[in-house]
Amino acid sequence: MFLQTLITGIAIGGIYALMAVGYSLVFSILNFSNFAHGVVIMLGAYIGYYTCEWFHAPVLVAMVGAMIGTAVIAVIVEKLAYRPLRLKHAVPLYFMISAMGAAIFLENLVYVTVGAHFFSYPAFLQQSVQIGQSNLGLLDIGALSLAAVAITCLTLFLSKAKLGVAIRAAARDMTVLGTLGVNIDMLLAVVFSIAGLFAGMAGVFLGIKYLVYPTMGWITNKAYIAAVIGGIGSLPGSVVGGIILGVVESFVSVYLTTALRDVFSFTFLIVLLLFRPSGLFGKTLDEKV
Amino acid sequence: MKHKCQWGIALFLLVSLIVATGCQQGSDSKTIKIGHAVSLTGDNSVFGQSESTGLKIGVEELNKKGGILGKQVEVVTVDTRGDPAETVNAVRRLVDQEKVIAVLGPSNSGPAMSATPIVTAGKVPLIATAASNPYVTADKQGGIHKYVFRVCFIDTYQGLVDAEFAYDRLKARKAAVLYDVGSDYSQWLAKYFEDAFIKKGGVIVAKEAYRTGELDFRAPLGKIKETNPDLLFLPLTQKDAALAAKQSRDLGIKSTLLGGDNWASPDLLTLAGPAIEGAYFSNSASLDDPRVKGWITTHEKQFSGPIVRNALLVNDALLWLADAMKRANSTDGDKIVAALEATKDLPVMTTDKFTIDPKTHDPLNRPAYFSKIQGGKFVFVEEYAAK
Repeated sequence: MFLQTLITGIAIGGIYALMAVGYSLVFSILNFSNFAHGVVIMLGAYIGYYTCEWFHAPVLVAMVGAMIGTAVIAVIVEKLAYRPLRLKHAVPLYFMISAMGAAIFLENLVYVTVGAHFFSYPAFLQQSVQIGQSNLGLLDIGALSLAAVAITCLTLFLSKAKLGVAIRAAARDMTVLGTLGVNIDMLLAVVFSIAGLFAGMAGVFLGIKYLVYPTMGWITNKAYIAAVIGGIGSLPGSVVGGIILGVVESFVSVYLTTALRDVFSFTFLIVLLLFRPSGLFGKTLDEKV
Repeated sequence: MKHKCQWGIALFLLVSLIVATGCQQGSDSKTIKIGHAVSLTGDNSVFGQSESTGLKIGVEELNKKGGILGKQVEVVTVDTRGDPAETVNAVRRLVDQEKVIAVLGPSNSGPAMSATPIVTAGKVPLIATAASNPYVTADKQGGIHKYVFRVCFIDTYQGLVDAEFAYDRLKARKAAVLYDVGSDYSQWLAKYFEDAFIKKGGVIVAKEAYRTGELDFRAPLGKIKETNPDLLFLPLTQKDAALAAKQSRDLGIKSTLLGGDNWASPDLLTLAGPAIEGAYFSNSASLDDPRVKGWITTHEKQFSGPIVRNALLVNDALLWLADAMKRANSTDGDKIVAALEATKDLPVMTTDKFTIDPKTHDPLNRPAYFSKIQGGKFVFVEEYAAK
């Protein structure tokens, strides 16, 4: 029972981690909660689904297609919803409101065009592996591995590549970076397209594992919690946060109560924040200044 | 110049808004306005869309025959999104702004219960279509809500027949239940099943819950697996049931699956795939009934999605309401309520002898219809009346 619970927790945690990374990246650069991230994940799931349906593409090809699609959508959202505010030096609150507006608009756009029906991906990696008494899904192994690979690549990119270094510099101080001659618009387009790539990946995994439907974006509430636990602004933190959240939820569900699971999960979050306000790996306030 | 333009546009918009609202409010005494509160979007949209089209067809046929009380019937549709809070707004619009004579729907128990105070205050009769929780018509002090009625069976009955079917037909002795704490329908149906199953002599080995919106049930299902039940009762929406079925099979749970009337939509099959094969569920109306097969074949093309039980039940409600208004010879709420209460042996769409119990506002003698999922299709098993 213990092993199965742990496996279930890590499996769900992997998906939370994938959702949290894209969200955390935007937060660390622009310092606001990108509420539109969930809806981009949802669109990724739909793009992947239709790629499978219309072009009879294999699921992995559909995932690549979805990732490219969501990268483009994320950049468009940035240009239309955030850039005007950025140029006017708006406070982060306005960015969040704009993000919510974009999310509601895109969600309802899906309702009006595609409809509210649920869709299911063609069967992919549905088998499981037996480990003693426990089952571990192949899809979950796939999701975790891909998440690990993607996040490692991202971390390398941010530390070694010139563009990556520029992005980290922008997280420190975007204004000064602008005066040094870096094209901020292009830089942010890169940041959002990376966030979009992760969103597309997460969306397709969610779609395969569960279902595709217009309101699936709101599952990213869990991603926000995961990012907070791990420490907003820290990429390894969001991965750790995601897995911790998944495991805590799983153990609470099995050993305490299924109905009141979220009560315990959020209490855990509150207690954690009381002792470590910036999360597990978050930068302390002194550094940010 | 710019200022004048801005003021001009603002004034024009204001005037148009007033004119538009004014046009809507004009009480058109040439038509009978009936409100339809239905879940066009949200998790229950498959049922809602089917119900909406079913009602449109029913109203067209009724109007061809002369309408009600010599006037044409006009339907005002509002979207409840399957959400109790949204239903309050939607029904309020029907009662206060549109001034409808009666409301048909909602089809979900939670939203139906939230609509009750509004129709009671507005003295507008409401006929719920597929809402099966007893507290839709009954109030918690032992009385009934005067203005609320329904055409389908209630969950105390559904839980009972599900338990009897599980015990007698499926020979289950150990049952586990997975339900949604966020849904009145799911919570109460789970309880009624549990009570009835224990009374029959069975044992409930596990009762686990999750919250609405949750997609992963592996943790509660893992606990259920440990207890090794013969039967897994899933009083859930078709979407959650599909996920639960897939995940329970992934975890290696071999129990027979049994569900309630919220399973009754073809997308259960596409969403669950082979995992739902061999499962059973109870329904409040049967699409295989020879009485309705002709209607279904004639009108199939007019439905953009699948035809589900709601399309039949809403026509029952419409015919019942039309008959009551004819007998009352009035559009007054109280008179219609009295006529609705006095309905006996009325031929409607799904039955020839629709009788209402004036003490509960629920129909008498509505059997349940059991279906099995076999070969990727719904196969009718039997019409079941409780012992």
